[in-house]
Amino acid sequence: MLKSISLGALLLFSFVAIGQNRVQIQGKLVDTSGNPLSQATVMLLLPKDSSLVNFGRANEQGAFVFKNVKRQPYLLKASYVSYVPLQVDVNPAQEESINVGALTMKPISKELFEVVVRTAKAPLSIRGDTIEYNAGSFKVPPGATVEDLLRKLPGMEIEADGSIRAQGQTVKKVTVDGRSFFGSDPKLATKNIAADAIQKVQVFNGKTEAAKVTGIDDGKKEKTINLELKESHKKGGFGKITAGIATEGRNEVKGNYNKFDAKNQVSVIGLANNTNQSGMSFDDYQDFRGSQAFSWGDEADFGFSGNNRYITFDDGDDQMGVPIGGRRDGFSKNYSGGANYNYDTKKTKFSSNYYFNQSERLIDKISSTQRFFQDKTQNSADTTNQRSFSANHRMSLRYEKTIDTLNTLILIGNGKLSFGNATQNSQIFQQLLVQNNLFPRNTKLMNGSNQQSFSSQNSAIFRHKFAKKGRSFSASAGYNYANSDGAATQKSLNQFLNATTLRDSIQAIDQLTNNFSTKTQVKSSLFFVEPLSKVFYWESFFNTSFQNNRLNRDLSDRSTAGAIARNDSLSRYYDNNLTYNRLGSSVRYSKDGVNVTVGLAAQHFNLTGDFRRAAGATNLATIDLNYLAWIPKIGIDLELKNNRYLFFSYDKSAQEPSIRDLQPIVDNSNPLFLRVGNPNLLPSVNHSLSTGFNLFDAANFMNFYSNLSYNYNVNQVVYNQSINANGVVLTKPMNISGGESYVGYFGFGFPLKKTVSTLNINADFNSAKNPLFLNDVLSNTHTNSGNISSRLSFTPSDRITLYVNAQFGLIHSTYDKSALPEQTIYNNQYGSELNFNFGKNTFLSYNLDYKVYKNKTRGLYQEMPILNVSVFKYVGKAQKSEIRLTVYDVFKKNLGVNQNAFQNFVSFEKTQTLSQYVMLSYTYNMRGLSSPIRKN
Amino acid sequence: MRKIALLLLILSFSAICQEVKTEGIVQYERTTFWANIMSRLTYLSAEERDRIKLTWGSSDEGWKQKMTLAFTENQSLYQQGEDNAEQGWSGRKETFFLTKNFASEHSTDYIDLLGKSYIVDDTLHAPTWKILNQIKEVAGYICMKAVTVDTVKNQTITAWFAQDIPVQAGPERFFGLPGLILELDVNDGDVTIIASKVEFKKLTNEFNLKKMKGKKISDAEYNKIIADFIKESIKGERNPFWGLRY
Repeated sequence: MLKSISLGALLLFSFVAIGQNRVQIQGKLVDTSGNPLSQATVMLLLPKDSSLVNFGRANEQGAFVFKNVKRQPYLLKASYVSYVPLQVDVNPAQEESINVGALTMKPISKELFEVVVRTAKAPLSIRGDTIEYNAGSFKVPPGATVEDLLRKLPGMEIEADGSIRAQGQTVKKVTVDGRSFFGSDPKLATKNIAADAIQKVQVFNGKTEAAKVTGIDDGKKEKTINLELKESHKKGGFGKITAGIATEGRNEVKGNYNKFDAKNQVSVIGLANNTNQSGMSFDDYQDFRGSQAFSWGDEADFGFSGNNRYITFDDGDDQMGVPIGGRRDGFSKNYSGGANYNYDTKKTKFSSNYYFNQSERLIDKISSTQRFFQDKTQNSADTTNQRSFSANHRMSLRYEKTIDTLNTLILIGNGKLSFGNATQNSQIFQQLLVQNNLFPRNTKLMNGSNQQSFSSQNSAIFRHKFAKKGRSFSASAGYNYANSDGAATQKSLNQFLNATTLRDSIQAIDQLTNNFSTKTQVKSSLFFVEPLSKVFYWESFFNTSFQNNRLNRDLSDRSTAGAIARNDSLSRYYDNNLTYNRLGSSVRYSKDGVNVTVGLAAQHFNLTGDFRRAAGATNLATIDLNYLAWIPKIGIDLELKNNRYLFFSYDKSAQEPSIRDLQPIVDNSNPLFLRVGNPNLLPSVNHSLSTGFNLFDAANFMNFYSNLSYNYNVNQVVYNQSINANGVVLTKPMNISGGESYVGYFGFGFPLKKTVSTLNINADFNSAKNPLFLNDVLSNTHTNSGNISSRLSFTPSDRITLYVNAQFGLIHSTYDKSALPEQTIYNNQYGSELNFNFGKNTFLSYNLDYKVYKNKTRGLYQEMPILNVSVFKYVGKAQKSEIRLTVYDVFKKNLGVNQNAFQNFVSFEKTQTLSQYVMLSYTYNMRGLSSPIRKN
Repeated sequence: MRKIALLLLILSFSAICQEVKTEGIVQYERTTFWANIMSRLTYLSAEERDRIKLTWGSSDEGWKQKMTLAFTENQSLYQQGEDNAEQGWSGRKETFFLTKNFASEHSTDYIDLLGKSYIVDDTLHAPTWKILNQIKEVAGYICMKAVTVDTVKNQTITAWFAQDIPVQAGPERFFGLPGLILELDVNDGDVTIIASKVEFKKLTNEFNLKKMKGKKISDAEYNKIIADFIKESIKGERNPFWGLRY
């Protein structure tokens, strides 16, 4: 233990213990001219490991004394600002007091001190007569050689011929990591090694070669430079590949490879399979995108702060980003691959990637739906088979430049080019039930489509911090463009089975459609923060956007003889402009875990447009919608003691009507279900109140989350459905106020036995009242739905882990006023997962997922036990290979099942899906495989 | 000769100045690099560690917190500094007040740890420092390097102490060097605590603390709580430092 003494006293220290095992050590510190170094630090260290035993300061005369210290060998160390630290050995024998005399400290060369220590802020290391410093502290341009680096170093001179002088003496030798580099010519090393490979430069006086060979120190010293290379751990590469063959003609192969160093990350990935895996896994995505897997601060539409920011990941083909996950129903063949490059330095970050994916998918499904009206019920049983193909090329670029400590610029560009085609054959058997009379009908649909689309999203964000603390300004600009060019054929044959005349009984449609649409958007946002005090901040934002949508739809009828005639009533051309402006301001209070934001914004829309039968035709309807909304905002976030958080917020949002809902033209894409728009629609407004409490108890491994919210809708877009005598439904959107919902979520996780067993319980509910408009009669649907689930994990050892879970879901709908039957739907799920390590790197795992679907009202029931079992073994010394045998869907029960109840509509759908197969696969992972049997 | 005379003059002047360089306040910036901390967790596979490093490593600018140290020759108080909410959020000020009295060799730390309030009250136990031959500048002061090992959290600690501020105080629970510690580096850059400003002034009521309640424990008991929690968390495959100061 270190005993130390009052330091401010000018002189000396007393160690109050007296005995024979004690000794006094004294001396004096002077500079090279013999002047005393007053206040120099003097330390007594243990020679074996430099441990500090005692310390003190020299007095005005430079003298120091350690009284009564333990009798043992010491390393006496003295240090003084801008002097080379000095070390002397002190070995007390029997004497009571040792005087080490006057010790001379040498100053550190002025340029070394000023340039290295003060200017470059690089640590100086002193080892005897060697002084070394960190080369990384001296900036040289990329591609520079060691010679360029040495030029920058204090005390170094490079002659015209490349020879080096250090502290005035010629450098005879350059070593790399202590070893001679290509003989004795020092220039070879300095001219050929890249500066950024160097970690440290050491300059010292080495023994001559002759002295080394003979072992006789001839006293001659040569100036030597040693270059220490950077640690290699910052460089690396890893990758893995998996290939599998299976019964039923199933195969899969996937692989990725990454290479990185301190600044660059390069990765490639690819997959091909006919096992329904269309996207990469989330882990693979993270490896693929590296430092750009999550992008913070790319939000260019500034608004009220304190709103939670979400990072979204794309799980389908419709989005701009790289698709993740996606195990879909049906049967599909998938190919995808891409490359990503990131360059990251403190000042500049650049990222680019290209990704291609294509998928061919076959779907066979049967569905039954029921749609209720006051006096009629429409039952429908559909059989559909569909084949679709899609291919997408995606490119993205991102550049971030930290111009200086106050200014940052971000440029982002994304582009996507897609091709797709699809054919669909459906057989629809419909029964219209009108007061116990049945009107059956049979429809055959044969649709085909072919389309190509392009979209591009670009934005620039500039952030500036002012010298005044807390004041900042951001500006962004964006340009988005999308177009879509498609052709579709639509053939349908409708048979009314109990019609009396032939003319009434058959309706045939044979149409060709060409669609071309473009969407162009230009936008900009500004954001400004002004600190009003240390705890109050005033934040303001402005958003402006102009968007143009254009569509040209040419629809032609094809007669049985094959003659093609344009159908003016179903063709259309429109050109819409949406101008959006929002100006808002808020005051935020932030102190010691209390964060409160109160603000108000004015939001203005102007939506103009016209609808025509063709580009040059007369205008059918003009829309000129101007709408101003005041948007208040309240947010309260409290961080309470012991990781407990409480929050409350009020938000209002206004959403402009969609163009499709505004078009005053009948859309007969589905002849049994017609749509017509409503040019008088107003924007819909939503009020939302939300509150929640979260708790994280690290000591007890426990957490609790809860959230409750209430939503109220004004001018909600609700579709008025009317059904005619033939059972054809026509929908028209209307604005209705009064829809509301209560939504809640709770989660609780706690250990039953710490580190061995954890129980998680989650529950959510949604109680909604939605307006329902049937045959011009307004009523309400009350839908209550909820889920409760729990998961028990049992992780007793490294050899075995077991997870069991159950979930119960319920949807219950009732109706006001109308005599529609109430609906009750159950979606239950039970699951279990086991991972077991037999030892010798052999593992067994299974995953059971047992789903039960039930519609009580309609007597529908489907149960689906899916069990996957696999056995795998790591092979090889480094455990880099894995052989795995997997049986997917042991009971051969896999189906895509989907049931739904919404408003006056209930459906139940079953899709034929990839079922049982047995796969043998091999994985090679360059980094070796671990035993990932625990899943948190 | 004249130069030497001048140097002497400067030296003696600075010696006089050093008299008052024993009392004041240091502002530190404490930066936590979570990517480093997480990629060290022993229960992760090589693949998972690389993933953390590659995803977060290059853009990890660290999570920053301000800390202050009030010091005299005889005592010091280390606590969380004034937080500024430029980023749109202000966190709760932790109960984390470390007081050391070098004259009476006594330490009293008020720490909220794992949901409980403790008063860690004990005699001073300084770490065993090793002094190394490296110097560098921190906040305008030439500092010398010292290292030690935190055996409880299994961390290597590097401290840089000012040669010309003869005070043995320091940030976090570290002290006992011949000069004020102006920079502390935990585990090779996982957490850095670097002085941004050193202000010398006569301190008056800076050491007054409001009354705080808590369970009184010794250094050894405090270390045991931490060691047990780390052991248990690693066994349960959780990052212990989500709930524990690194």
